[in-house]
Amino acid sequence: MDLTFSEKETAFRDELRAWLAANPPSDPPRREEGEEANYAWRREWQRQLYDWGWAAPGWPAEYGGRGATLTESAIYFEELGAARVPLPANVLGLLLGGPTLMVWGTDEQKERYLPPILSAEEIWCQGFSEPDAGSDLAALKARAVKDGDGWVVTGQKVWTSGAQYSKWCMLVARTESGLAKKHHGLTYFLMDMEQEGVQVRPLRQITGEAEFNELFIDGARISDANVVGGVGNGWKVALTTLMNERAGLGFALQVRLRQMLDDLFAATAERGLLEDSLYADALGELHVRTETLRLLAWKGLTDVERYGQPGPEGSLVKWLWSDTNQKLTQLAADIVGLESLTAESRWSYELLRARGNTIEGGTTEILRNIVAERVLGLPRIATAA
Amino acid sequence: MDFGLTNDQQDIQRTARDLLGERAKPERVREHAEAGTVDVELWHGIAELGWPGIAVAEEHGGQGLGAVELSILCEELGRVAAPLPFLPTVLAATLIEHAGSEEQRGRWLPGLASGELRGAAGGVGVVPGALGADLVVVVEDGAARIVENPGDPVETIDPTRPSARVEGAGEELPGNVEAALDRAVVAVAAELVGVCDRALSMTIEYVKNRQQFGTPVGAFQAVSHRCAEMLLATEKARSAVAFASWAADADPSRLAEAASIAKAAASDAGREVTGGAIQLHGGVGFTWEADVHWLYKRAQVDALLLGDGKHYRARLAKLIGQRAMAAAA
Ligand SMILES: Cc1cc2nc3c(=O)[nH]c(=O)nc-3n(C[C@H](O)[C@H](O)[C@H](O)COP(=O)(O)OP(=O)(O)OC[C@H]3O[C@@H](n4cnc5c(N)ncnc54)[C@H](O)[C@@H]3O)c2cc1C
Repeated sequence: MDLTFSEKETAFRDELRAWLAANPPSDPPRREEGEEANYAWRREWQRQLYDWGWAAPGWPAEYGGRGATLTESAIYFEELGAARVPLPANVLGLLLGGPTLMVWGTDEQKERYLPPILSAEEIWCQGFSEPDAGSDLAALKARAVKDGDGWVVTGQKVWTSGAQYSKWCMLVARTESGLAKKHHGLTYFLMDMEQEGVQVRPLRQITGEAEFNELFIDGARISDANVVGGVGNGWKVALTTLMNERAGLGFALQVRLRQMLDDLFAATAERGLLEDSLYADALGELHVRTETLRLLAWKGLTDVERYGQPGPEGSLVKWLWSDTNQKLTQLAADIVGLESLTAESRWSYELLRARGNTIEGGTTEILRNIVAERVLGLPRIATAA
Repeated sequence: MDFGLTNDQQDIQRTARDLLGERAKPERVREHAEAGTVDVELWHGIAELGWPGIAVAEEHGGQGLGAVELSILCEELGRVAAPLPFLPTVLAATLIEHAGSEEQRGRWLPGLASGELRGAAGGVGVVPGALGADLVVVVEDGAARIVENPGDPVETIDPTRPSARVEGAGEELPGNVEAALDRAVVAVAAELVGVCDRALSMTIEYVKNRQQFGTPVGAFQAVSHRCAEMLLATEKARSAVAFASWAADADPSRLAEAASIAKAAASDAGREVTGGAIQLHGGVGFTWEADVHWLYKRAQVDALLLGDGKHYRARLAKLIGQRAMAAAA
């Protein structure tokens, strides 16, 4: 065990820090300017990162990354967090789509799709969930039927975040039905969102904004070249995406949590409540959670370095993060009071948005099942399907 | 010992539930929430029935019933997250009736009891329901004053209860503010019980019907146990509110403790139960259309109104600690 950074890692951090200091993003648009303005601004920020080779340092140099190690990538997210700059706009492409293609994609696919993910020219979204297939993802019904040198897709997806900005959708569809197991006969596609057969309808969230959408897919076409990981192999490919979502995204987000906690400490101090044991105990507990989360995320990287891809333990990171974020934003309400529940306060948004964290990317209940069954090896109860 | 409601009280509850089931349907609540307006028509309707004055003395134009009856109405209105200034108005009336001077009572209570005047109450700063109120009772450092200028509008997460930021000066309430506040927080706690009750029943309905893995999700113990916990939290709050509502009129010497237990239990329950409701609805629970969030938002605001759970738990430690010391001495 050695929990220090090497000279190379420290040099990486210093270089990034200097760059961020010299090249901060422009001021964000005000909230009244709307979600689209905010998205455009984050896209612009990604382009700026990209121009200097900082959009995804962990990607191989041939695709525009820096071939940074996992540790360096983690440092990257910590530094973005510490500098309080936003995550790049194309998060799902960078953290889920890209890594999935690197594992399962053909050379042609990598060459074609990775660079525009990095430059934010082509935004990606994740079309997994359906109205009747959420936790039970393998029950999905969207159908892709072979037609000449491609496929024709019909079905409905739901909760598709960022679909309104996306060029490509990571789509899992059924290509063979009537098989003994429901997760057989699925295929992972890259679907072009810019076609007649794909309609996007925004869904409003409890925060009032519409991050996610419904997708109505009616006769959309996908060419053979856009099958990822082989026909009938969709479940395995989807799992790669999900593990990256739980481990990778969790890592990026824990840094935000740290910042928010620092802000809450500051807000508590401002009100002269730091010494008040009513809040001190709860703040201390949040600090323990946030730091153990950070350590857990770092420790998870060691596992990835040793075994290739993130394992089911990645679920712990996402579980702890989402739970802690809810506790933190709730404590903020106690400390800041009713003022925290006003539209002007960033805490009101954080409080509401945090409710989604234990649902998106696999609910906490499902993550606990995964931990119990796949990490602890506990027997599972037989379900009908 | 009998926790059961009298026939008259059951009538009040039934009438309220029927009326609100009819006139405060989710679509209507959402309409008003989105417009940031109160349902004036319904407000007039319930004012005609004398609801705002249910606990106000007859000599001041009220019905002269008690805290139990008031809690029944608060709970029913909480169940539907009604876009009405009911709770804010009865809070103001309660504080004025129980801590105001004779002159203040005579001046304000008839209007508040008839629903002609709208009131609100809260601490300095954001006061839920203060927008459009004719008077706001502002509580600060154990004192309370009547502020006639409600201040600037402020948007909170709960648009069913348009709010304002209140700061101004006003005439002090000369009476026992602490005891009056105890009565007021019981009303808030009662509303929270209604919010919990509804959030739980919506959730039960949903998880019985929603199928995943070939079975209703309510069959998974992760889900059913959380529902059971939601019930436990709701019932804790409900029994605490029942005791406090009874004590308010029947045994005021126990009200400080009872009200603190009620507000602490109900504030916690409100957060846990409505948060659980969103969780167990899955992605649907996170949508605007599903209507669970109105209950969550109401619960968040009520949990902080006139003191949060932490405040009342700390108060209990002091109250009960003093009692224990006195007993030991
Ligand atoms: C903000 C947000 C963004 C999202 N973005 C995307 C996206 O970009 N792309 C995408 O494909 N999806 C996305 N999702 C969808 C998300 O993955 C699903 O909502 C989630 O998997 C749950 O599915 P569901 O909504 O159908 O809930 P359900 O599966 O119906 O679950 C309902 C309740 O039952 C519980 N439950 C279900 N099965 C079990 C079980 N076996 N054991 C115990 N409890 C169980 C759940 O935990 C939940 O509490 C997003 C969701 C949210 C909230």
